[in-house]
Amino acid sequence: MQREILIVGVNHRSAPVEVREHVAINNGALEGSLQRLLAVPSIEEGVILSTCNRVEVIAASTDGDHAVEALTDFLAVDEHLPRERLAEHLSVYRGREAVRHLFRVAASLDSMVVGEPQILGQLKDFYNRAATVGTAGTVLHRCFHKSFSVAKRVRTETGVASKAVSVSSAAVELACKIFDRLEDKTAMLIGAGTMSELAARHLLAHGVHGMLVTNRTFDRAVELARDFHGTPVPFEEFPNYLHMADMVIGSTAADEFILTPAIVHEVLRQRKYRPVFLIDMSVPRNFDPRINDIDNVYLYDIDDLGGVASENLDERTREAEKAEAIVEEEIDTFWRWLASLEAVPTIVALRDKIEAIRKAELEKTLAAFAEITPAQRQALDAMTSAIVNKILHAPITHLKQQDRQEEALYLAAARKLFDIEQPEDN
Amino acid sequence: MSSLLLSLALALYLLTTATFMAQVMTGHDALRRVAHALLAAGFAMHAASLGVQVFLKGYEVLATFQDELSFIACIMVGLYLVLAWRANMSVVGALVTPLAFLFSLSAHAFDKAGPELPHALQNVWLPAHVAPAVLGYAVFAIAFCLSLIYLLQERQLKAKRKGDLFRRLPSLETLDDLNYRFVTWGFALFTIGLITGSLLAKQTWGELWSWEPVQVLSLITWLLYAALLHARTVGWRGRKAATFTIVGFVVVIVTFLSVNLIFPGKHGGTFG
Repeated sequence: MQREILIVGVNHRSAPVEVREHVAINNGALEGSLQRLLAVPSIEEGVILSTCNRVEVIAASTDGDHAVEALTDFLAVDEHLPRERLAEHLSVYRGREAVRHLFRVAASLDSMVVGEPQILGQLKDFYNRAATVGTAGTVLHRCFHKSFSVAKRVRTETGVASKAVSVSSAAVELACKIFDRLEDKTAMLIGAGTMSELAARHLLAHGVHGMLVTNRTFDRAVELARDFHGTPVPFEEFPNYLHMADMVIGSTAADEFILTPAIVHEVLRQRKYRPVFLIDMSVPRNFDPRINDIDNVYLYDIDDLGGVASENLDERTREAEKAEAIVEEEIDTFWRWLASLEAVPTIVALRDKIEAIRKAELEKTLAAFAEITPAQRQALDAMTSAIVNKILHAPITHLKQQDRQEEALYLAAARKLFDIEQPEDN
Repeated sequence: MSSLLLSLALALYLLTTATFMAQVMTGHDALRRVAHALLAAGFAMHAASLGVQVFLKGYEVLATFQDELSFIACIMVGLYLVLAWRANMSVVGALVTPLAFLFSLSAHAFDKAGPELPHALQNVWLPAHVAPAVLGYAVFAIAFCLSLIYLLQERQLKAKRKGDLFRRLPSLETLDDLNYRFVTWGFALFTIGLITGSLLAKQTWGELWSWEPVQVLSLITWLLYAALLHARTVGWRGRKAATFTIVGFVVVIVTFLSVNLIFPGKHGGTFG
């Protein structure tokens, strides 16, 4: 049977951050998760994508129905998130839909901020790690490489990426609604990550005066601080510096909240209740959502920021349509390739079947002759082979060359005419 | 003459209000310029109308609460124009202008000859008392408008609603800073008005303090704003300060109206 491509997971449209954070796969645990994925019976190939906005498993399977169920179980490992609740938010793409989804993700058409450039790098990274572990096979290799080239085409041929407004600019816009000016403000970056570093960069570009950087690995903090012309702060001591920060960007891999209402109350007291803008860029979230109830504190998580950014979407719609057309075009190319892959087992089965008939009939005929020289024997063998090849040549050529729709018809006809089983996948 | 000018000013204020509303809803910069031009014209008419009044009646202009309301409205518009010149404050304008319109309208509607100003009050302490008090009221009124906008913006930010309105509101910090400055100035003016008022009372009735309703209510207002300014030093900023400012202004309105309409006493009926 042919491998079907399917994608099962949660993304920023199907599931709120509260659900996504329970499904998210920790960076360090990815290799283990990939191994676990390949151990799932109905899964032949798999790549895991786990970013702030999506946790999706891209898999190839010969048994799609079972695979969807198995992948749901695979994702529902957090005891805080019952399988039923996860199922409500799960998005499942199969076949052509799955290919379209992957291409759209790669081209940043499915991003919270359409056109943001980070996703392609993340996708490549997750694909490479799966390839290293060995969980990506023929189908996924081809599919991912195709998705990268789709992304490249979209970037160069449309204005989607150039007009990209990232979550970071949304953060800057909000900061400007809270603060009169950013020039006398200080920001603190807790942890590191593409999005949060970009946000920090945007804030600096808009005049933020000082930057405090903290990280569990102090060397990393020092390195980032140098980059931002900021001050590194040891991770254990960052709460003591919080009162200096007017904006705090959180982006650590912590499983529990690193900022709680109690800490924020104390910080505010030290700040004489000057306002604080908290930006939670991490999934699972780093800042307790209840903090937003405190006066003079404005807490936005990645979903909230996405809401701000989506307002600029309208003007990009036209470019996005162009990009969607590219995606459709490329799906067709990919699909033809996938289909030719499907023709191969049919052809093999056809050859095998005819070859078996030839061999059987040849043996029967040879058994009838009492004396036969090896040369004669060889001649008979060559002749029957030539007959078979000549007869099969035209049909096989046709089967290889047809485009998708007609090919399905020819394949079905061939199977029926020659009475062969569904092609077996090897 | 003065009445005609005031009518013109009223019409212009009404037109400005509509233009501001349209500006806030659509966000067109051109509309803001139109609104400001209309408002400036209205302000000129209003000021001229008051000038004529002063020229004709002298001190007595300050004798009726209608004229005082008209003065307050005119000063509010003037203050807003100064503010708008410094920062993009259309939303504040959309609140100040209708308020000024309402104040002027009541001045216009009640436009009738007030009672004769008692001879005893006709001395230098009268303008020294009324001028800072009227200015103070106008400043408090602007602080009130700023606070309402603050609460609106704060709610938008907390609720993470990001409509077009949100984009057109000034930043929280701007609003809070301005609120602080206006309350401080208003408080200073109000304090002067209170002191000169007592001196005027001493001149007129022979005692500084006689527990008149107006004196009690003014004292309450003074204490409220004093408390607000003190609370700011210990961190009562933002939403709390804005709420407090609004409460303070409601008390100012109550004081003003009750002094003039409900408990005329020795003080009211003549001036506020």
